[in-house]
Amino acid sequence: MKSKSQTKILKKALPWLYLLPALVLVAVVVVFPIGYTGYISFTNMSLYHWKDYGVVGFRNYARAFSRADSEFLKSFFVTLLWTVVNMVLQVSLSFLIALGLNAPGLRLAKVYKTILMIPWALPGYVSILLWRVGVFNGEFGLLAKLAMLFGFGKTNFLMTYWGAFFSCLILNLWMAMPFMITMIDGALQSVDRSLYESAKIEGAGFFRTHIAITWPSIWPIIAPAVALTTFVQFKQFDIVYLLTLQPGGNTGAGLQTVITLAYTTAFASSNYGLSSAISTLIFLIILALFALLSRRAFKEAVL
Amino acid sequence: MKKWHHRHRPLDWIRLILLNLFFLVLCFIVVVPILYAVNISFSGAADSLSTATFFPSQFTFENYRKILFDYPFFTWLGNTVLLALGTTLFTLIPAVFGAYAFASKRFHGRKFMLYVLLVLNAFPAVLTMFALFRLFKDWHLLNSFWGLIVIYSGSLTIFSIWNMKGYFESIPSPIQEAAKIDGANEAQVLFQIVLPLARPAIIVTSILVLISVWNEYIFATTFLTGEGSYTLAAGLYTLQHNDYTRLWPLFAAGSILISLPILIIFYAMQRYMVSGLTAGGVKE
Repeated sequence: MKSKSQTKILKKALPWLYLLPALVLVAVVVVFPIGYTGYISFTNMSLYHWKDYGVVGFRNYARAFSRADSEFLKSFFVTLLWTVVNMVLQVSLSFLIALGLNAPGLRLAKVYKTILMIPWALPGYVSILLWRVGVFNGEFGLLAKLAMLFGFGKTNFLMTYWGAFFSCLILNLWMAMPFMITMIDGALQSVDRSLYESAKIEGAGFFRTHIAITWPSIWPIIAPAVALTTFVQFKQFDIVYLLTLQPGGNTGAGLQTVITLAYTTAFASSNYGLSSAISTLIFLIILALFALLSRRAFKEAVL
Repeated sequence: MKKWHHRHRPLDWIRLILLNLFFLVLCFIVVVPILYAVNISFSGAADSLSTATFFPSQFTFENYRKILFDYPFFTWLGNTVLLALGTTLFTLIPAVFGAYAFASKRFHGRKFMLYVLLVLNAFPAVLTMFALFRLFKDWHLLNSFWGLIVIYSGSLTIFSIWNMKGYFESIPSPIQEAAKIDGANEAQVLFQIVLPLARPAIIVTSILVLISVWNEYIFATTFLTGEGSYTLAAGLYTLQHNDYTRLWPLFAAGSILISLPILIIFYAMQRYMVSGLTAGGVKE
């Protein structure tokens, strides 16, 4: 009897034993630092209070929301704008490009696809740094050379707020669209071709056909990838940071997403309490986004 | 479909020509920054500042020689490889056991744990960087490869579990049941049946983890500050950081050297990259 109940316990514990190494690792490197960040957000930890910091309650949060003292709200709205503009452009342009790639009779489609994938294959930071010097640099960037060719003076788009925003946007589209094109291109292969025949008979044009037939058929397939990409856009750090904010290379554009703001508040301004408060607020926003994306939909799609 | 080809009207020809033109222009726009960097990497120093275009006026390998032999390029490469291999090992072992548990065991709390891991994966690692930085400073783990390997492994373990779970689930459970009836114990089922069958997923995930580490710069530049422990990312970063006017051709050459292996791997396993990304997300 005893051995039977022992095996029963072992059977129940077995999955957790398998999970143990992964869960310990995640607890130490992911969960604990999140909790510690939450704790720091309630202290006045800074360069001058590295060891002798004290708990200050919600003061950092109050600072984050007071317009005069902190850029949090401004950066939050820009991050939302950034996410929405990126997603709309990425999905609609990728949809059109993928449709083009699948046009009947386009023999070179495979070649085009292969070339369009190159930005995806390159290491992200290499692409960004190459663009920083090779495209955006005011002296020998391609844009500056183009501007001079047309008789304009030297220009550096990274030095103004909206110039930086659109430069980052263009680069982000360049880097992120290959993934979206691939996803939509894959989904297009599953569309029932016979639907097109009947649409043709009924005399539907290009846009009507693809909005009424193609889009509804591919949406369930690409929805998880779109959700994933939305998070990735919201989290975008590298492009804004490396193009406009890196130490010694700060262009003075003042463009900050919530993530770069949290980073520079800690590593440039050494205001660790405020930085951690911003980080904690972002965690809460992400949790809210997850709740919005409805647990049920998630479970159906992925679990 | 065939009918379509037979009925090529002039309008269709014009449409196809316009479509091809569109894609030629699009491809050109996509590769222009890369072509420019390739050109600069083969040019003499003078070309980079002139109004030079896409063909170097004097073709030279000098930039490649300099970056490889005048800079500690091979030290950077060694450090990167060490980090990448260490992280892969440190990530894959816990992740393989985790993916196996999630895929072939049904237990209380399974869905909840999967959901929690998904949420944790959505939290940007940069946001806890200061907390980790401070802890590591106090524990004297800054400038330690082990420290960085552990950090990388934390978030990559979640990714790897999710990436492999789908494939593990596709291994038919009757095979596992039959082995148990034949008297195989738990360990034998795992090591002699499941793992060999899951090998493709494990290999693809390992490569994706290797690439992630190869491509990572912000933790590498923050946590490894001694020049002897620079990774390729940190080395390249300093090249564009200090006096990039003069070093731009060198930087271009370095970028191409660092990107080439990744490009080759990417095109060699493009199919798996896509399926790996979707396997976790889309049910077939």
